[in-house]
Order: sequence, then structure tokens, then C-alpha cells
Amino acid sequence: MTRVVRAMALSVVAVVGGSSVAGCGAARAALGIHEAPKANSAVAPLTVGQAERILTRDFTAAQQGKTATGAAAQVALSTAYTGQGLRAAKARVRLAAIQPSAADSPLVAPQKSLLLAVPRGLGYPRVMVAQTVAAKGSPPILHLLTSPDAATPYRISASATMLPLSTVKPFDPLRQGSPLVTDGSALAVSGMELLKAYAAGMAFPAKVVTNPPFAADTKAAQVRAGAAEVAKAVASQASFTRDNKVVPNSVYAVRQANGDALVFGVIERTDSFAVKSGQAINTIANKAFVLLSGKKKVTKSASITTVEFVVFSVPRETGRATLVAASEQVVAGSGS
Amino acid sequence: MLGLALAALGAWTALKLGPAGEVHFSATSKPTGAIVVEPGILNSLNLPVRIKATRGDGGAVWLAAAPSTDAGAVLAKSAVSTVSGVHFPAGTLDLRVSGTGAVHDISTADIWRISSKGAGSAELLVGQGRGPETAVVTSGDATALTIVTVTLTWAQRSWFFEALVAAVIGAIVAAFALNDVSNSRRTARWAHAVRTRRSRVRT
Repeated sequence: MTRVVRAMALSVVAVVGGSSVAGCGAARAALGIHEAPKANSAVAPLTVGQAERILTRDFTAAQQGKTATGAAAQVALSTAYTGQGLRAAKARVRLAAIQPSAADSPLVAPQKSLLLAVPRGLGYPRVMVAQTVAAKGSPPILHLLTSPDAATPYRISASATMLPLSTVKPFDPLRQGSPLVTDGSALAVSGMELLKAYAAGMAFPAKVVTNPPFAADTKAAQVRAGAAEVAKAVASQASFTRDNKVVPNSVYAVRQANGDALVFGVIERTDSFAVKSGQAINTIANKAFVLLSGKKKVTKSASITTVEFVVFSVPRETGRATLVAASEQVVAGSGS
Repeated sequence: MLGLALAALGAWTALKLGPAGEVHFSATSKPTGAIVVEPGILNSLNLPVRIKATRGDGGAVWLAAAPSTDAGAVLAKSAVSTVSGVHFPAGTLDLRVSGTGAVHDISTADIWRISSKGAGSAELLVGQGRGPETAVVTSGDATALTIVTVTLTWAQRSWFFEALVAAVIGAIVAAFALNDVSNSRRTARWAHAVRTRRSRVRT
């Protein structure tokens, strides 16, 4: 074999071999082709821009629900709200004529929104926390937006006005997201236990809650005092009771940067009146009741349903939860 | 031979990519349903992917990208054509058909990081860094989407220059090799001539 033939044979082998290698891993590596990255459960599943667009959409729809009428208003409200938030917003709009402070309601009047927390990880439900401040300089309002599954958009499920001097501790950076606290043992008290205890504490006749997991607050004191006044006012004609129940699937605890949690919850309050035999109560003075129930006089019984949105700051390990925000809305009434 | 092969391959690749260094892959989906580009394709390079979808009937086209788990959840058992492979230099895409359910209006979900829509066609540039993501093509509502051509484009200008460099290196190697072969033949002829003269002198 001559030198030339040897060189040609080696070249053919090199070309064939090189092409084979290039066709496999080497070419992929040279071009930078790699496996798709694994899902990262330690980051937010949506961008800050996405979250802000969602806020804008929902709050714009909330405003339209307040200003529009008829079917358009209902569509707008359904775009903005969900669950108890929708129930309360619809009632608020319905009662707007007799409750002229509708413009200040946390249920319909967010003006400037501030995104506080976005979800973390790929699980559902997902929640976002936002704060709005009405242009008039009224107290900030905290909003919880929820998405129960991938196909359902985020909507406002709870809104509550912050109490004077209350603050919200910072959440993790928006890019990182803030996880839901689903393990009650991670906090001084689980969200559901807290809400149940708080609801029990506002019953009438009053029930003593031993070793309450929450600190005393002026809002609960006002509600309890109000119940006592109502009972006293109707004592000659009816007996009065108040029952509070935590609305199922309404409690969400969002972890904050220091390990504490901001807990949102909804309590349904039912005021019941049992009219004494031979009595007839004129209800005209209670315009909300008349509008909701259509009854101007009751002779047997009456009930008024109110939803209460409460937000607590719950410490990580020990200590009592503190009420941060609260709002309520009459949503139903009935009588006979 | 190696040098010539490298030069030819480099030159052909440079011509194929063009100065922008673009590589295109296309396929036409005929079954009714959405078209899906999964992360195995979409996130296989650290480069933005430009997706273009075109309908022959000029109807509405909606394109969006979302985290893969979310996109999979909203599509569930819907009929989809999934881009499962790309072929270079053929420039074609493999499509795998699955599912039989109707595609609902998934555009209202809040999972979509980016989206685009248009009449007849739409384009979307999907960046990297938030993978794994899935891109989905639908009509933007519950209307069926039938004959759609989808094109994926990756662009990296350096690919064009790398191909040019390969062509130049191949040409240089080939030139040296040819020179070497030429010299070898000349040397062999000279040696043969010397041997022939010596044998004549001895006789």
C-alpha cells in the first residue's frame, strides 16, 4: 500500500467517524442543546407583570360592577369577585341606594393597588395578596385573590379594611412568591382554629372563650356590644341570638418573610329574632332588611345574614394572633 | 478528504443558516385541536424561540406560553397535536396526535405568561429562563382549529460565523493536504528516476 492510498483510507475513516460523532452528542453539545429544565417549586408560577395585570383587570371590573347597571354590572362583578367576596359585592351594590357610603366600601372601591404577595410553587389553590388605598386617604384595604385551579382566573375572594395602627409584615420577594401555610403546626395557631375561636367569641348570648388564641380587639368588642344593644332593644317583642360560623374553604394563611402568616377568613354571622307570641315587629327602620327580605313587618321570626371578612397576623411559634383588618356586609334577610 | 468535507459542510451550513444564523422547522397539523410545543423542544436551547402559527382559512389564531404543568392541566384530555421532534437539515417537525376531547376556551386562564393573537396568523417570541414551559396554539376560543402550519425558528448569528470558520479551516486543511500529496508524488518520481539511473550505470 502506497503512502497516498494510506492517507486516503485514513481520511475516509476520519470523515465517516467524525460525521457519526457529530451526528450524535458532539453536535448537540456544540449547539447548546440540552434537556428541558425541571420545574422549580421554589419560585412564583407567574411573573410580577402578570400579577399586576390580573390586579388591574379585577379591580377595573370591580369598579365597573359598581358603576354599571343590570346584567353588565353582574358580569363585571363576576369577573372581579368570587365566593363570599362576590356574595358581598353583589349585596353591597344591591344595597347601594340605602348605604350611600358605597364608594368607600372595601368591597367595591379599590383605587390604587399594591401587590404584596404572589403564590409560590405549582400547586393549587393559588392566592395573591394586594393592598389598595382609596384616593381619599381612607385606611388601606387588604384583598385576597384566589385561583382554585389552572383554568379558573384569579378573583377577589375577600376584602377587609385595615384597622387603625395595624401593619402588615413583609412577604418574600415577589419573584420568589409566598407559599400558603397548610400545616397548622407551623404557626402558633392554625388558621381554622383561630377563626373558629374568634367566631365563637362573638356569639350572642356571649360565650366565654378560654385562653383565646387571639388578642382582644376593638372590632370584636364593637360587634359584641352591638349584639347586646339589639337584644336589649327588641327584648319586649322578640328574643335575639347571634350565631357565627366559619365559611368552609375561606381560610387562607399566606407565609410572610419572617415565618409569620397573614390569615384571611370569612365568618358568616346569622342574627335570629324569634318574635314573641302576639307581637308584630315593624321593620321599616331597617332598610337593608326590608330590601333584602321584602318584609316590612314580621310576626314569627326574622334573620339577617352578614359576612365578615377578617385578616389576622399569626405568629410563627408562640403568641396570640392579632386582628389586622376587618369588614362586614349584610348579604341576606328573611322574615315571616 | 477531511478538509474538503469540512469545507463543504461549513459552506453548506452557512448558506442554509444565512447571515442571521436562523434555522426554521415547520409542520402542518390537520387534525382538529390545539397544537402544543412541549419544553423538550421549547426549552432545549438557551435561545429565544420564535413560534409562528398560520391558518389557511384566515381565522383567528391565539398563541401563548405557560408553565408546563398548568398548560397540561388546562388542556387535560383535549385533542392536541404535540411537536415531538425536529429534523435538521430537513427543517421539519414531528407531530404526535393525542386526546379526543374538545378544546375549551383556555385563553381566559391566568396561567399564560405571554400570549399573542391575530387573524390568519400570529407570532410569539418565547424567551428562556422560566422553563419548563409549554406553548399552545388555539383559535383563542372554543372554535375548532384545523389546518394550521406551525414554524419554530431559532436564531444565533454566531452559528453562521462558526460555519464560515469551519469552511475556511476545511479549505486550509484541504490545501495543505493537496500540497502534501503533490510533494509526495514529486518526491516519489524523483526517487524512482534516481534508482533507474543508478541501475543503468551498474549495468
